[in-house]
Amino acid sequence: MAKKKNGWGKRQRAVIVHGVRTPFVKAFGQFLKLDSIDLADAAVKALLDRSEIPHEDIDSIVWGGVIFPSLAPNIAREVALDLRLPPSVEGMTCTRACATGLQAVTLAAAAIERGEADVIIAGGSDSTSNAPLNLPQKAVHALAPLAFGKAASPSDYLQVLAQMMPIAEILPKMPKIAERTTGQVMGESAEEMARRNEITREAQDHFAERSHHRAAAAISSGRFDDEVTSVETSDGAVYTDNIVRGDTSFEKLSKLRPVFASDGTVTAGNASPLTDGAAAVLVMSENKAKALGYKPLAAIRSWAYVGVDPADQLLIGPALAMPKALDRAGMQLKDASFVDMHEAFAAQVLSVTKALASKGFAQGRLGRSKAVGEIDEDTFNIHGGSISIGHPFAATGARMVTTMANELARTGQETAILGICAAGGLGAAAVLEAVA
Amino acid sequence: MSDLLLENEQARRLIKTLGLPIPVPERLARATGPYEERPLEDKRVLVGGRGELQDALAHTLTKAGANPWVIGETDSILQPYLAPGEAWARPPTRVSPGDAPEGERIDAIVFDGTGLQSPGDLRELYDVIHPWIRRLNRSGRVVVIGRPASDAKKAGRAATRAGLEGFTRSVAKEIGGNGSTANSVFVQEGAEGRLGPVLRFLLSPRSAFVSCQPFHITKLASGDDAPDTQPLEGKVALVTGAARGIGEATAELMAAEGAHVVCLDRPADDGPCSEVARRIGGSALLVDITDEDAPARIAGELREEFGGVDIVVHNAGVTRDKTLARMAPEAWEMAVDINLGAVVRITDRLLSENLLRTGGRIICLSSVSGIAGNRGQTNYSASKAGIVGFVEALAQQLAKRGVTVNAIAPGFIETRLTSAMPVAIREAARRLSAVAQGGKPEDVGQTITFLATPGAVGLTGQTVRVCGGALVGA
Repeated sequence: MAKKKNGWGKRQRAVIVHGVRTPFVKAFGQFLKLDSIDLADAAVKALLDRSEIPHEDIDSIVWGGVIFPSLAPNIAREVALDLRLPPSVEGMTCTRACATGLQAVTLAAAAIERGEADVIIAGGSDSTSNAPLNLPQKAVHALAPLAFGKAASPSDYLQVLAQMMPIAEILPKMPKIAERTTGQVMGESAEEMARRNEITREAQDHFAERSHHRAAAAISSGRFDDEVTSVETSDGAVYTDNIVRGDTSFEKLSKLRPVFASDGTVTAGNASPLTDGAAAVLVMSENKAKALGYKPLAAIRSWAYVGVDPADQLLIGPALAMPKALDRAGMQLKDASFVDMHEAFAAQVLSVTKALASKGFAQGRLGRSKAVGEIDEDTFNIHGGSISIGHPFAATGARMVTTMANELARTGQETAILGICAAGGLGAAAVLEAVA
Repeated sequence: MSDLLLENEQARRLIKTLGLPIPVPERLARATGPYEERPLEDKRVLVGGRGELQDALAHTLTKAGANPWVIGETDSILQPYLAPGEAWARPPTRVSPGDAPEGERIDAIVFDGTGLQSPGDLRELYDVIHPWIRRLNRSGRVVVIGRPASDAKKAGRAATRAGLEGFTRSVAKEIGGNGSTANSVFVQEGAEGRLGPVLRFLLSPRSAFVSCQPFHITKLASGDDAPDTQPLEGKVALVTGAARGIGEATAELMAAEGAHVVCLDRPADDGPCSEVARRIGGSALLVDITDEDAPARIAGELREEFGGVDIVVHNAGVTRDKTLARMAPEAWEMAVDINLGAVVRITDRLLSENLLRTGGRIICLSSVSGIAGNRGQTNYSASKAGIVGFVEALAQQLAKRGVTVNAIAPGFIETRLTSAMPVAIREAARRLSAVAQGGKPEDVGQTITFLATPGAVGLTGQTVRVCGGALVGA
């Protein structure tokens, strides 16, 4: 057998060396003028500065996005060029709805495990504030002959005008977070899950309250200082997350009106808000990290992605993905030191935890006799989650990886499991482990 | 010819406005697309009766996406529904006996009558269904489940069991105007595991034109694998008379469930037959089934191209109607040979060459008039009643190999055959069914396709009518 060159094909462990994110900011707020690439630049620049990684050692950038800048959708490459990294730092951009950030990290881990690369910057960013408004196809098709065709006569213009009626059909459509196949808005899916899993409004509001209090405590204690960078904007620097409400309470949350159904339970308070932000993670092979003198925060032990029928329970995916990732890691839920779950909606998180604790679910959906397990509140989303911190779609996964990797390194605990639900009925999970 | 009362909105409105004494049929809800994971998505299914099938019902209904409403005095009745309810997030709702809360409507009623012992117990049918029957939504479903009367050791118990069928047939007539159907299912002891797929079929829109029928689930044939979706994946199906009508609809539906369909028709129908085969990605086989060498040619083709066959649908058929006194011998010959003789010869050949694979399915077309008798159809009725005997005998012989053999008896179906009927007779024939309309070829195709699935292993040797609950030939 020919000798392998440049590490190609050799098995090596992928480790998390560092992670940084921008503050997560309410959409149409302080980051209004920064698009997804600007936010990515900010996060990656901070990662480079704080980790002091020699630029020539970087192999590539794997970036994630959900709402793409239409003129330059390969954000990864734009970041490398913007930050004047060596031209050899190649880049690709991936998308997997709300699991995109985790997808970028596991793609990086897979490439490193395969020996394709040793140092990869992975992460994701989204600017909901800069979601492009698309002209309807009808208008595009009518205008195309004028824009790209031969010189037009006045009668051509008239013909195009004639096609533009009625006016409502050619106005740009407001983007909304709806399933393409079912037409259901995600909040309606959460509402349906709450109903079907019998998750009460009270339980959702209590969960949201806890999320805010924990995130606020993490911020005020300085726990996030290592992983959040300030970002310069034309209106001044932004230093911290602005969605967290440390002073909220169950009583205040109870007063909010349901958004998606008049007799519903999902409110602006117990759902994740539209958010702008970016998060970046430095992933390396364990040997390279050692060679460069880094002490890795954690290693990536396993991951799993699943799909469920979007017309059923759109956001139940983590209840299937987490057991799968645990299986692959050769462990059980009770073995995990921390559980970190993306909080799209309190109703969704509580539906997933209920399913994980259910013997019936385990028997019917996983083909096993025992429930996956109960989750201890003290180890669950210990620093809050997407409801309180916010949820820039493609950044959340990388934020969770960073926070949990830091938590393992700080506490000396063994393992953490991540779970993320995503549009299209997708579920994602990953297991991080301590590096001895 | 299209059904004016069904398809012309103005006619429908006019009759309703004038209050004419003409029953306006309800448009039947029909399935679109292949078998779904959850055919009963968000359907509210009322479950009553104190039987032995609660576990099977809980599992089947919940997994199929239904919201179970269970009748019972206390919450202990919900016990079997809790685990599957958690698995598929379909928590059960308890309803008190005799109580039909104001404004609540239901999509289906399932009555588990397997616990009934004596004639007095039949009262439970009344107690469960009476308060709810008017609350049944359009295209609703009633399914009454019991044990086979023939298995009862005591005559009184047999009588009780048999009573379920008569009740169900009458309910079917009463709710047909609403586009709803009622059928009974008799489950042999030990065959409970085979109830699920039958229930999914009967409660879904796929059984739109099946009403008044008893289904007998037995453990006769072997086999247990029953995928919910794409049930015919990897199967080879032969459909005779596939160029048009019921054959065409069946070929299309089977292909949609994953089967490779060999579409057989006469060489004269090359055009339409090949067109069907092309459209569904199957193959065409042009053979006149009455030819002497037809069985050998069909067997040869199936052996060489596919190494065997899983599903055989004997659909090709003709009518040559004349009263017996005026019937020419050719008319007799033709009808009996195509409808029965060829079916027997082709089946024999496939079996003798061992081409029908384990778990195979044979489905033959009978006819309601074959069962009931019809003036001017002595030849046709002889052939179609012959089919009933054929499947009964063959089902016994092939059961060990997991092969089921069944007949389908269509009632009035809107096809080329029935569009040639005189207007008055056609119009009368349509309204004679419980749902007051004719069926579509796809209705027959749906039942054939269901019988061809692995999940229908509990049904064999039976003649299933697809007649909308027709008055004739009960």
